[in-house]
Amino acid sequence: MKPSVSPWFASPTLAASPRSARCWPLAAALVLAAAVLGTLGLGVGSTGIEPVWAMLADPIAAQIVWDIRAPRTLGAWAAGALLGLAGAVAQGLFRNPLADPFLLGSAAGASLTVALALAALGVSPFAATWIVRLGLTGAAFLGAVAAVLLTLALARGVQHTLRLLLAGVVVGMVLGALTSLVTLLVPDVLQAMQAFLLGSTGFVGWSACAIMMAVGTVCIGAAWALARVLDGLTLGEATAQSLGLPLAPLRLALVAVIALATGTAVTQTGLIAFVGLAAPHLVRTLVKVTHGWLVALASLMGGLLLMVADLLARGLVAPQEIPVGVLTAVLGGGYLLWLMHRRTG
Amino acid sequence: MTTALHPIPTDAAVLALAAQRLRVELGPARSRRRVLDGVDVAIRAGCWTSIVGPNGAGKSTLLRALAGLLPVQGRVSLLGHPLADWPHRQRARTLAWLAQGGAVDAGADDLTVYDVAMLGRLPHRGWLAPPSLADHAAVEAALRQTQAWEWRERAFGTLSGGERQRVLLARLLAVQASVLLMDEPLANLDPPHQADWVALVRALVAQGSTVVSVLHDLTIALQADELLIVAAGAVRYHGMCAARQTQQALEAVFDQRVRVVGSDVGLVVVPDVSSTPPGSLSSGTTSWNPS
Amino acid sequence: MRRMGWPVWALALGLVGWLGAAWAQPITVTDDRGRTVVLPAAPQRVVSILPSLTETVCELQQCQRLVGVDRYSNWPAAIQALPRVGGGIDPNVEAIVALRPDVVLAAVSSRGSERLEALGLKVVALEPKTHADMRRVMGTVARVLGLPAEDAERLWRHIDAAVSAAAQSLPPNVRRTKVYFEVNRAPYAAGASSFIGETLARLGAQNIVPAELGPFPKLNPEFVVRANPDVIMVGARNAPGMTERPGWERIRAVRERRVCVFDNDDADTIIRPGPRLGEGARLLADCLRKHVQP
Repeated sequence: MKPSVSPWFASPTLAASPRSARCWPLAAALVLAAAVLGTLGLGVGSTGIEPVWAMLADPIAAQIVWDIRAPRTLGAWAAGALLGLAGAVAQGLFRNPLADPFLLGSAAGASLTVALALAALGVSPFAATWIVRLGLTGAAFLGAVAAVLLTLALARGVQHTLRLLLAGVVVGMVLGALTSLVTLLVPDVLQAMQAFLLGSTGFVGWSACAIMMAVGTVCIGAAWALARVLDGLTLGEATAQSLGLPLAPLRLALVAVIALATGTAVTQTGLIAFVGLAAPHLVRTLVKVTHGWLVALASLMGGLLLMVADLLARGLVAPQEIPVGVLTAVLGGGYLLWLMHRRTG
Repeated sequence: MTTALHPIPTDAAVLALAAQRLRVELGPARSRRRVLDGVDVAIRAGCWTSIVGPNGAGKSTLLRALAGLLPVQGRVSLLGHPLADWPHRQRARTLAWLAQGGAVDAGADDLTVYDVAMLGRLPHRGWLAPPSLADHAAVEAALRQTQAWEWRERAFGTLSGGERQRVLLARLLAVQASVLLMDEPLANLDPPHQADWVALVRALVAQGSTVVSVLHDLTIALQADELLIVAAGAVRYHGMCAARQTQQALEAVFDQRVRVVGSDVGLVVVPDVSSTPPGSLSSGTTSWNPS
Repeated sequence: MRRMGWPVWALALGLVGWLGAAWAQPITVTDDRGRTVVLPAAPQRVVSILPSLTETVCELQQCQRLVGVDRYSNWPAAIQALPRVGGGIDPNVEAIVALRPDVVLAAVSSRGSERLEALGLKVVALEPKTHADMRRVMGTVARVLGLPAEDAERLWRHIDAAVSAAAQSLPPNVRRTKVYFEVNRAPYAAGASSFIGETLARLGAQNIVPAELGPFPKLNPEFVVRANPDVIMVGARNAPGMTERPGWERIRAVRERRVCVFDNDDADTIIRPGPRLGEGARLLADCLRKHVQP
């Protein structure tokens, strides 16, 4: 290190960060791929694969495309984007590359309330009307949010990341066990719960799409604004504090973003594992970026991942469906395995 | 507090950092340990102070307390104002703290060197604003000063220990703070870069910055202006490094097991190996008879 | 009388001996696992952990021999007082053993069978999945109970007649009626090769789910919209929200409100491959009759 007595501001070149040079093309590529595959994917459905324009010529088929396949494809993308975003935030917040958006117990909470709602549907007409009014989606959302609040209460705030992590794991396990208990006592719900647990994009309509896009916009905005907290945290909590970041309220805000994004995705599409875990990693293998770009790219990547999985889910064994969670695990996991192999090989 | 505080212009007689009756307890509720007990510290502005002491004396804890990173009993003040009164960002612009090397887990591995250095500009950047020209200029200057500019696009995780330490130092320098607190800044650095670091600190002090460094390398520690000796949670000595009294105090706190010797490159502190039986790590109670 | 005494006594003794022998005859049965089970005598204490087998035993007039049933058996009323010994997938082994049964009737998919057999109990595993299965299983249950095969056959004829009667009560247009039976909300449908599908076929209705998709396929909901069934049948537990699914408002059955929602008891009757098949067929026929255009 040569001693430099020159003033701080003498700088001949201002390195425009070449990172942006790679990020914009990647973002454009992800959006383009999603658009192309989504449009082509409108031809994939219960009759196998047929060209979209042929379908649009027939008025009945066109309505099927518009009413069912279009919102489903867009909804899968939106849900994947929410999960990818939540995964990137969770991995930054917990400084743990194995973190996924369900780490705060939201998934377990949603499945418990859904199981209780399904079980109660046959029990009494009073319960049934109540639940119909609330909707299974409402029940799932309430469950997700309640579980996160329980985690926060157990961890007594967001001050200690490790305690938050442990509380989330505990809440997840306990609520998961309770869900298993419910399915054991009321085995009628077992198959429906299994479908929920493996995820399903089958019933996503336009209103669900609208909700997810709205929530996604809010969450992306919030996450991008809070991205520097995540950046600061990469050097450790003490350093982040020394850099003037008020950690407690900002961490709470990040937890809220994770809860909102995850809760919304889970209510519409059930539990789809692996998208939140894999999407940020896939982005990181392609570019090295700070969290501002990472959350945006991770959500684009997550959207693409889930949309492709949904296409395969309904196209491979048409007119039957493979649970989409199985496909996200195969796709995301397979790609990560190949990348790991390429790195170590 | 939202009102900005105007720091008193630094002047040799002014204290950059001061602490009175500082008491720090660490540990879980059942087994709290008193790490610092009633410590009084006065760090002069525009001066390089080294904090030394035996292992476990509380040096890092003292530095953290001065940086405002620990809950403490007692008073800590920065540039004349109580630390608690400083707004977060203004404090962060004025006082920069470097964690003990190796405390960085894998979180930053995927960031580039440039991004890591840019983290030092967080206290200066507007909340939603991209880095300004001044930010880029500061980062470039800091990276050049630590000779990390050539590999600014490399991923942080691919660097060696010494290279990482230099990048973290650049992060610290990018803050452009007037008070710099560094905990073991020489970790993993090879001797040429240690010498460079000394020269850098001297240049910073010459411009009016205050530098406080916790060092376990006593030779380098003695290159500073002032020496602060901490042992068993209390300040044992604080004085000018050049004074003979300081050197004696240093030898005393280490139970006379170090010697301060003069050389043509300055004072050198060496462990005193002449009275230590080989193979014993503790202060020897048995004498060894070679025969 | 004294002259005829000897042959009469011999005949009487022979009759008693034959009856006794028949009573003490060891019963050999091959269950659905392919295992041969030998019972030393007709069992007097029977535990059943599959509801359809419980109902079969009672329909064969041997309800009094049941000493324990699973928690899901709920018909007829005579078994309400019996102790419950867990479910099919989680039988309470201790409770079953404590009842000292002579035989345990279980499903093939039941998990405790190995353990019970290791503890010395006799387990006959039967799991009817089709109508043909049902007939065979009834015969097997009659064999296990030491009843003549004719009892089972009579029961089957009775059930069969009820199904035929239900079929005949429907107008001929039922042959053009497309039916979709949803088993649960994933959605899993009852295909043509399932038990319910066979009943519907006997009633003459068309199932939109063809046999090659299997008995209970998990469908793409779009498939149902495409197939446009005339009548939808669903259980009360799965009915809420079904008509709000995207695109489903266009299905003829939804448009014209031809959706039969079966309450839980009725749904049990329809779904169980047991002796109440005739009753189930009648419920399905009632639904079809209401909604089929004459």
